[in-house]
Amino acid sequence: MIRLEKVSKIYRTRRGDVRALDKVSLDIKEGEFLAVRGPSGSGKTTLLFSIGGMLRPTEGNVIVSNRNLYAISKRQRAKFRATNIGFIFQMFHLVPYLNTVENVLLAARVGTKSFGPEDAKSLLNRLKLSDRMYHRPSELSAGERQRTAMARAMLKRPGIILADEPSGNLDPENAAEIFKHLVEYNQDGGTVILVSHREVVDNYASNVIYLKDGHIQEYE
Amino acid sequence: MTVVQLIFREIIKRKLNFTLSLLAVVITVSIFVSFFTTGQASKNETIRLMRDIGFNLRIIPEKTDMAEFWKTGFSEHTMPESHVYKLASFKGLSYAHLTAVLQRRIIWKDMDVILAGISPEVPSAGREKTPMFFSIKPGNVYIGFEVARRTGLKKGEETDILGSLFSIEKVLPESGSEDDIRIYAHLHDVQAIVGEENRINEIKALHCLCIMKGSIADSITMLREQLLRVLPDAKVLLIRAIATAREQQRYMSEKYFAFIIPFLVVVCMAWIGILALINVRERRREIGIMRAVGYGSGRVAALFLWKAVLIGLIAAAAGYGIGTGLALEFGPAIFRVTANMITPEIKIFYWCLIAAPVFCALSVFIPAMIAVTQDPAVALREK
Repeated sequence: MIRLEKVSKIYRTRRGDVRALDKVSLDIKEGEFLAVRGPSGSGKTTLLFSIGGMLRPTEGNVIVSNRNLYAISKRQRAKFRATNIGFIFQMFHLVPYLNTVENVLLAARVGTKSFGPEDAKSLLNRLKLSDRMYHRPSELSAGERQRTAMARAMLKRPGIILADEPSGNLDPENAAEIFKHLVEYNQDGGTVILVSHREVVDNYASNVIYLKDGHIQEYE
Repeated sequence: MTVVQLIFREIIKRKLNFTLSLLAVVITVSIFVSFFTTGQASKNETIRLMRDIGFNLRIIPEKTDMAEFWKTGFSEHTMPESHVYKLASFKGLSYAHLTAVLQRRIIWKDMDVILAGISPEVPSAGREKTPMFFSIKPGNVYIGFEVARRTGLKKGEETDILGSLFSIEKVLPESGSEDDIRIYAHLHDVQAIVGEENRINEIKALHCLCIMKGSIADSITMLREQLLRVLPDAKVLLIRAIATAREQQRYMSEKYFAFIIPFLVVVCMAWIGILALINVRERRREIGIMRAVGYGSGRVAALFLWKAVLIGLIAAAAGYGIGTGLALEFGPAIFRVTANMITPEIKIFYWCLIAAPVFCALSVFIPAMIAVTQDPAVALREK
């Protein structure tokens, strides 16, 4: 489903080039739960953003659902992302002036499928946010914010969920809650790629890769 | 979430940015509207004020000896009275006021006085004019201050001038000029008593040069050429200082308007642009997440451009109201003579409704493009 062919990403900075990914090749099957682990600066987030069509690699191909993501136009890529990919971030990145339901509906009208408030509410019920539907992000706990972000990512039932350190700002209990929902999503057929430096994610993932200095060290 | 919903939610969240942008446009529109509304009154006011200064053109017979003319104040030669009507009917010439005059120096009651016959105002085609200085009925005279003092004559008394009886309609106040030794009468009365029927020795004209474009010197040359085409046996004297002052006065408000409004618009656009830029920087992550969930460039740009259009529309309505209110409130005090001409200009309201949103959208175009082109991955990677 997802294939990376010799993907390299070099960040050009004033202090010199930084090679975040170095000829990474990877195959991720449909319905796989892949954990990407590694220390800070190992290229985990860069890998995730490249798979999500958000960061053009310096070289190599990223093929998702038989589409070479960086060979298509920016517009087509945005449309593809809207329909097929859901993002979850460590910093939640909720829109501060929208309430929980509105944040979940942020992407509802983008892409081919359209979803309404009832779909958002049903999802929020499942994620135990039924009493927080009209709260602003500033009125939510960290765990609630992350579950809201998760609902936003899952609303359109995209084939792929890309989670960048989703438990990074959470206590173990809330982190476990998040992992549990990701596992459920995976069990329903979704492909999940989870980036984390926590060892615990190994317990949830079907496959784990270790990244270091832009190279895959191990692939279980 | 629709773009419109997002715009309104964001405005409520970031009220200060929105209010400051709105304020800038409201001020600009208000000033524009108040300037425009009072502009017409200002023009009319200028015409009225300048009319009181005096004539700016004197048309005299061509044979006039200028040394003698300046010594006596009028020409010894005459030209047909019909010249003034010829001038009035000439389509290539526009003027504000036109009067025919016949002046002669006479000794009357042992006093050297100037007898001035003045025709009624000669209207241009289809327009009735109010008299430029005064209109004297046949059989009546106005006498200068010194004439009245020396002869002891008073208003309402009758007096004989060169064998004709006249009623003194007015004693003119002291002017400190040769007007104090003038006797004004109807043109035809003076023509009769000095024996120069249908003759005049001067046409006084107040010409509106403001409609002519180009330098003052050019417009005066054009005017002179036009006049001499109609009256080849006349010469045209220009009281340059007055004419120049008049024309400059007429141009002044237009120049001021032409400078201040573009200046304000540029400042306003820069102000809105900077605020939009701050807004874009403030919303980097928000834009990043929108890109992540699939928002295209058009939708992201629309968030800023439609917001700008909304600011423009609100500001146009508010600015029109405030500008018109200011013009109606303070305009009459500034333009006392033409106060009743200051009325709301509804046409300007429609122009504001179109121009303000367009200028606002243009102002935020660059910030909107920055928002569109910024790398979402960079914003979203920030911890």
